[in-house]
Amino acid sequence: MAIDRIFKDEASEEKGERARMASFVGAMAIADLVKTTLGPKGMDKILQSTGRGQSVTVTNDGATILKSLHIDNPAAKVLVDISKVQDDEVGDGTTSVVVLAGELLREAEKLVAAKIHPMTIISGFRMAAECARDALLHKVVDNKADAEEFKSDLMKIAMTTLSSKILSQDKEHFAQLAVDAVMRLKGSTNLEAIQIIKKPGGSLKDSFLDEGFILDKKIGLGQPKRIEDAKILVANTAMDTDKVKIYGARVRVDSMSKVAEIEGAEKEKMREKVQKIMAHGINCFVNRQLIYNFPEELFADAGILAIEHADFDGIERLALVTGGEIASTFDNPESVKIGRCKLIEEIMIGEDKLIHFSGVEFGHACTIVLRGASHHVLDEAERSLHDALCVLSQTVNDSRVLFGGGWPEMVMAKEVDELAKKTPGKKSHAIEAFSRALLAIPTTIADNAGLDSAELISQLRAEHHKEGCTAGIDVISGSVGDMSQLGISESFKVKQAVLLSATEAAEMILRVDEIITCAPRRREDRM
Amino acid sequence: MAATVASQPRSSKTESYIDNKRKEDIRHANIVAARAVADAVRTSLGPKGMDKMISTASGEIIITNDGATILNKMEVLQPAAKMLVELSKAQDSAAGDGTTTVVVIAGALLKQCLLLLSHGIHPTVISDSLHKASVKAVDVLTAMSVPVELSDRDSLNKSASTSLNSKVVSQYSTLLAPLAVDAVLSVVDPAKPNMVDLRDVKIVKKLGGTVDDTELVKGLVFDKKVRHAAGGPTRVENSKIAVIQFQISPPKTDIEQSILVNDYTQMDRILKEERNYILGMIKKIKATGCNVLLIQKSILRDAVTDLSLHYLAKAKILVIKDVERDEIEFITKTLNCLPIANIEHFRAEKLGYADLVEEVSLGDGKIVKITGIKDMGRTTTVLVRGSNQLVLDEAERSLHDALCVVRCLVGKRFLIAGGGAPEIELSRQLGAWAKVLHGMEGYCVRSFAEALEVIPYTLSENAGLNPITIVTELRNRHAQGEINSGINVRKGQITNILEENVVQPLLVSTSAITLATECVRMILKIDDIVTVR
Repeated sequence: MAIDRIFKDEASEEKGERARMASFVGAMAIADLVKTTLGPKGMDKILQSTGRGQSVTVTNDGATILKSLHIDNPAAKVLVDISKVQDDEVGDGTTSVVVLAGELLREAEKLVAAKIHPMTIISGFRMAAECARDALLHKVVDNKADAEEFKSDLMKIAMTTLSSKILSQDKEHFAQLAVDAVMRLKGSTNLEAIQIIKKPGGSLKDSFLDEGFILDKKIGLGQPKRIEDAKILVANTAMDTDKVKIYGARVRVDSMSKVAEIEGAEKEKMREKVQKIMAHGINCFVNRQLIYNFPEELFADAGILAIEHADFDGIERLALVTGGEIASTFDNPESVKIGRCKLIEEIMIGEDKLIHFSGVEFGHACTIVLRGASHHVLDEAERSLHDALCVLSQTVNDSRVLFGGGWPEMVMAKEVDELAKKTPGKKSHAIEAFSRALLAIPTTIADNAGLDSAELISQLRAEHHKEGCTAGIDVISGSVGDMSQLGISESFKVKQAVLLSATEAAEMILRVDEIITCAPRRREDRM
Repeated sequence: MAATVASQPRSSKTESYIDNKRKEDIRHANIVAARAVADAVRTSLGPKGMDKMISTASGEIIITNDGATILNKMEVLQPAAKMLVELSKAQDSAAGDGTTTVVVIAGALLKQCLLLLSHGIHPTVISDSLHKASVKAVDVLTAMSVPVELSDRDSLNKSASTSLNSKVVSQYSTLLAPLAVDAVLSVVDPAKPNMVDLRDVKIVKKLGGTVDDTELVKGLVFDKKVRHAAGGPTRVENSKIAVIQFQISPPKTDIEQSILVNDYTQMDRILKEERNYILGMIKKIKATGCNVLLIQKSILRDAVTDLSLHYLAKAKILVIKDVERDEIEFITKTLNCLPIANIEHFRAEKLGYADLVEEVSLGDGKIVKITGIKDMGRTTTVLVRGSNQLVLDEAERSLHDALCVVRCLVGKRFLIAGGGAPEIELSRQLGAWAKVLHGMEGYCVRSFAEALEVIPYTLSENAGLNPITIVTELRNRHAQGEINSGINVRKGQITNILEENVVQPLLVSTSAITLATECVRMILKIDDIVTVR
């Protein structure tokens, strides 16, 4: 007797071959979607929001595209996740990781069709990944000891990362910006200390790096516009009215003069609060909330610079860089840490006035001001620069460097191929497949650039047969080129993360043999 | 090895571009949509360009010639078309003028790109070549430009009137151009000679009169009536002005309050107290010698009550209420005074001084003028008049463009000829440059050069001239070395455009070219539209 109702209504179950098919197809569709954005000549996508406002984003960043997609296929979701993890971990290579995973699955599909058990494929993939990683480890260059060399490595990596982005035309300028900013961090990966401000107007070339911190706010009326040796109190407190926050509280009086007295008392309370704040011995007060006219005037009278409405992100960062802490009560001036900086002044960027804090306590801090024609350009520039900064800060810690332009993939493919020849049994098919999947990356780069990929890859393979070869695809001239001469480098850490997480994701999807979709939760009809 | 490869001319085989159908379709659709937008504003280019009437969703009607305004009000949905709207906004913020030009150039470039794509050239190759061409174009323009001094008012006037000539208010350009120049020059800070903050120029619109009555006021103008009870002053000489951020009305606490009245006598007492309270405040104000009050708007309580108005009238104090909080900075800067947030802080040193504050009847309404301000800050006010709302709004937009033009000149002191002269010269020089380039690049640069001819072509077309005759003659003149020949729309022929006083700031032309190219490159690189959350 068949049991036909294990699941709820509307829940569905897909088994075996069908389930595997569904995940392969989903994953490959995702990979194909972002495939065209790979490499220096990759294309961009328009992301059109279906929400209110129908806002439009133009981007080349794999993680951004994938993050915003509507996805129903579970396998596809796995790929989106690995791209997100890649973004969080190393910041770059978000497209590569998805493309590689997609290719691995494409190869796996063929093997499954040839009746090779998924577990065999997985173990083959594992061996191949291990071997590929070792191959890279043998080839890495580490210039940590030599400061000059190391800096030029960083420049190269930044340029390589940026060349596939909107900033490619001014990549030298931005690479310099990114390297300078990261070098200031002195090894910490705390990108919080690098602030990026976007100001429309001007061109991308006008972007610049400034030491210190810039706050996009106005200084209150009648207050000093320039303070040296500033002592800054960063606060999050109500400076409009301090009222009893119990609902229904009200004052009952029986004459007008009483009302006036209470009003006076309220004012007095605010005055006391301001005096308490001033008792900290500060000359700059930054508040997250509104500072209303009355306290603003009190501050102006005392010659204190007061900044209202600094957003949350703004004050947290300000507290970090000036070495102060965010205060919300002011009764114990001794216990509050006050931020310091050498100079606060008002500066003009484009048409807007901003407040510049220079000579801050936390010497690492700096600000990159991005200029560009429109918000689209600026947003994309910020994403690109963020990628570059992430990669660089990772590289500062792990200074191992590889060549770019498809070179690492070729090296890995070669080693994996060798391994396949040595390995007996069915596994060798899987290992061979792995090597083919690796080749897909240079192939895609070439395809996107409108080059003859079959021709180029075979040339490249021949080159790599020689020992110590540094050949890769030179997309600019459309031929095989010497990566060390062209100065195309990538961080080892990025490549390793791409390799390992793509393999893991492929493995995970490959293991699936059943998909159970739970019945959607019913929304109660309340009407 | 790579170096030798790069210098060789590229073989077309390796750069051919085969893509799948869908991606081609998307790019095609994007370009077509963007061009449709460009075509929509094309006819409004130039001094004889036509205007557009826009009826907005709320039923408001706008007649304008300003590209940025037209595009802004057109509610386009297609993402690529939206990018063109953004482009015109970017030009508006970068240069303030040339918002139509930039869109028309982008449209023409896209048209050429379509052709190049159909030849199978890879979009990134086109995109890179366009970038190179635009960099070169900026060089050419810079070489053509003439330096100008800020003291040379004549040149400044000329460029402002060139901008105004293409607007509805063109017949008033002789009045508005010098006005714009004066306004901008008066706010230039000698300490920062390259910066002009147009927020220091306030434009006040008042219906009635004609555009002829537009004037520059050295001082402040409020589009508000003086609040006064019977007998209150409407004109104060030797005024002492206070900007206050509190209200002259019965007290109100932040906590909810209620007054309990138990018997009849109490009511009387409360009324009396209210009167005393207000009287007390006014006495304090009067004691400092203040005779004009500007009161900031408050949503919590009334700025003045009938009672306080009555007392203020008796004290001969003129009151203007409902001043917006964001205007306070402008006002205090102009009056060189400090805002006062509490009656306790009302001191004489926080006041501003002016020779005259008076209420003037204009058309059907009244305005308040403050003139002869002592130690006036670097601000200025323009009072724009117009016979109807449509003209008034358009006059304001045109004036804004003219102000921007002058601002551009303050920032970057170079002038360039107008009337299509720079475009045709660019087209000629880039065309020549294209011949020495190798491979696809040369091909793309030539297309870029051809696309630029759209400006003189459209100018003459809009002026009802024969575009082909004009453009070819123009080319001919430029080939003979007359780099300043342009289309003289008034005479309908080609003349030396510099002699005709048709000039524009260099910044307008260069930013139009760079921004248009940047936008086209972005559209080219898009191969998919993904719908997202």
